[in-house]
Amino acid sequence: MISFEALVFYLFAALTVFAALRVITVRNPVYAALFLVLAFFSMAGIWMLLEAEFLAVTLVLVYVGAVMVLFLFVVMMLDVDLAQLREGFWRWFPFGAVIAAIMVFEMVMVLGARQTSETGAGLTRHAADYSNTKELGRLIYTDYVYPFELAAVLLLVAIVAAIALTLRRRKGVKSQDVAKQVAARREDNIRIVQMPAEKQMPVTGDQESEKA
Amino acid sequence: MEMIKNFFKTFLLLELVKGMALTGRYFFARKITVQFPEEKTPQGFRFRGLHAQRRYASGEERCIGCKLCEAICPAMAINIEIAERADGTRRTTRYDIDLTKCIFCGFCEESCPVDAIVETRVLEYHGEKRGDLYYTKTMLLANGDKLEEQIAGDRAVDAKYR
Amino acid sequence: MMELLQAVQQIGQDLLGPAWLPVWTVAKILVIVVPIMLTVAYLTLAERKVIGFMQIRIGPNRVGPYGLLQPLADGVKLLFKEIIIPTGANKALFVAAPVLTLVPALAAWAVVPFDVGMAVSNANAGLLYILAMTSLGVYGIIIAGWASNSKYAFLGALRSAAQIVSYEIAMGFALVCVLMASQSMNLGDIVQGQQSKAGLFGWYFIPLFPMFLVYLISGVAETNRAPFDVAEGESEIVAGFHVEYSGMTFALFFLAEYANMILIAALTSIMFLGGWLPPFDVAPLNMIPGLFWLLAKMSVILFLFLWFRATFPRYRYDQLMRLGWKVFIPLTLVWVAVVGAWMQTPFWLW
Repeated sequence: MISFEALVFYLFAALTVFAALRVITVRNPVYAALFLVLAFFSMAGIWMLLEAEFLAVTLVLVYVGAVMVLFLFVVMMLDVDLAQLREGFWRWFPFGAVIAAIMVFEMVMVLGARQTSETGAGLTRHAADYSNTKELGRLIYTDYVYPFELAAVLLLVAIVAAIALTLRRRKGVKSQDVAKQVAARREDNIRIVQMPAEKQMPVTGDQESEKA
Repeated sequence: MEMIKNFFKTFLLLELVKGMALTGRYFFARKITVQFPEEKTPQGFRFRGLHAQRRYASGEERCIGCKLCEAICPAMAINIEIAERADGTRRTTRYDIDLTKCIFCGFCEESCPVDAIVETRVLEYHGEKRGDLYYTKTMLLANGDKLEEQIAGDRAVDAKYR
Repeated sequence: MMELLQAVQQIGQDLLGPAWLPVWTVAKILVIVVPIMLTVAYLTLAERKVIGFMQIRIGPNRVGPYGLLQPLADGVKLLFKEIIIPTGANKALFVAAPVLTLVPALAAWAVVPFDVGMAVSNANAGLLYILAMTSLGVYGIIIAGWASNSKYAFLGALRSAAQIVSYEIAMGFALVCVLMASQSMNLGDIVQGQQSKAGLFGWYFIPLFPMFLVYLISGVAETNRAPFDVAEGESEIVAGFHVEYSGMTFALFFLAEYANMILIAALTSIMFLGGWLPPFDVAPLNMIPGLFWLLAKMSVILFLFLWFRATFPRYRYDQLMRLGWKVFIPLTLVWVAVVGAWMQTPFWLW
């Protein structure tokens, strides 16, 4: 009899594979994006089984909570023409097939070399108070500090570059400066004018005729 | 100096707190809601509500079918047909007011030379079907019979301003 | 209290054996969900009453004494209304959207502690879990907007999605400050970290005051409440993402919004206002059970939510984005650095 844990694993694994397949087979791009979300979710479940709760929650937080939302955003606003998309499928098929074959081969090589033993056999069990987050933090800031910092700087460069590429200051744009508006005071904008009360104008011919 | 003051003003959300203090004060203010069916706001004697047709003391209906009200009605809510009665007077055979059209401007009342069509103080009436608010001559006369006392009283108070 | 719980657990274990665990968990979930639903019902009444009072009105007072049965009447009304599915709508997603909004709002409660050890799950990464769950609520809104096949709904959904994604960052950074101060992501430990002789002054809202404000304001934005309710914006886009919803499907959106409000109130009290801790650890105050203190703090925050709605006009959309990206995110980033530096000095007392 398989253990409860294995059962949950196979459930999540099957769900992941199913969702991943639907991502590429389903016609509606919005459905595809939603299936990708499902795939992320079930992956998070598998990571949870591996006691990597930090990674699992971060996967949900970052990919599901932010990246996929933006994806959906774009997909919903696009008017996707399926016929146009499918054009030239057979022309590019050999090219794609070769890449897929190479990737499958690579993955078999990587996984086959490391994990010849049974699933889960190479993993160590941890005590209940073991904190995956703490361990991860310790590793990142000690053993892997340089790669981590490098990655951080790379991301920073990407952010700065993205802003630099899209930022353009146009002349003559009349946008409001909120801070300035908030700081505006009555004294700056209102001038109270003191002047003597108006005197009766001398009566002219015009007004005379109007009265009459 | 001014800049530092402004900086703290913005970051301490002073203006927002001021706004909240105002609404907070009103939270404890005496409530001015009128509990409608039990409490009512005072009503003037010129109130323009449900229509009625009046009669003279003799029981003769006032309306002479001059159609002035029909002509002046801006919403075209009044429909009148006239005919000669057996005694040779001109009377309406039909006098309908569609209250779903009526805007309660009071022009019919103003235009009436014999004070026949009037607007009463009644405001609590309703219809459950579409046709319920289509008032016919008999309904209007019934209104007048029922409310004659009040109608006459209001007209008497208003008389000195006319 | 704790002894009683342990006794119940012992009896259950003896009676049901291994089947006890799921039964116990379901019981715990019910104990949380049912009061939340009731609170939501009465929060709607409280909202109408409070806003009414601030507008010198008296609010609903016809159904039951002081209008106390009004939520019941509203619920029954919504239950019996017809659910209309617009033509051209994506039926499956249209029906799924309200559920997708409500589920994360309730799921997040799993790690919220009500007293020492009183939580459905005492998870280590509790704070992260909360962040993940609150970020999922946006899916229901986006899907609702898209599946309705309506312009207004779609506009509302886009607005709300952009808003939630932006404010989540500021919210996350505010929480980073909290977990720096408490050195834990477990919500129970965060509350314990605020316990000190100084009582009220030991709570994190003192050293992290700007973060407290940022979190509260982002919380209002995150739940799409006034003055950040551009997703609904009844004067501009009718009712935003839920224009096409009626009856029970609409009620679910309503429930989710209020459940989220209560959640934000609970989180704010736990992370900044000392959770179940009494304001001073002296005789009459520490006799009162912790649950009472937590509920009292939540009520104050919820009252603030209603007060905001009665006071402030709706933000314009670009101003809302400006506040999120140009004010809150830099402010929180600076404060993360300040707290980090402060913690290295002997002046850090928390």
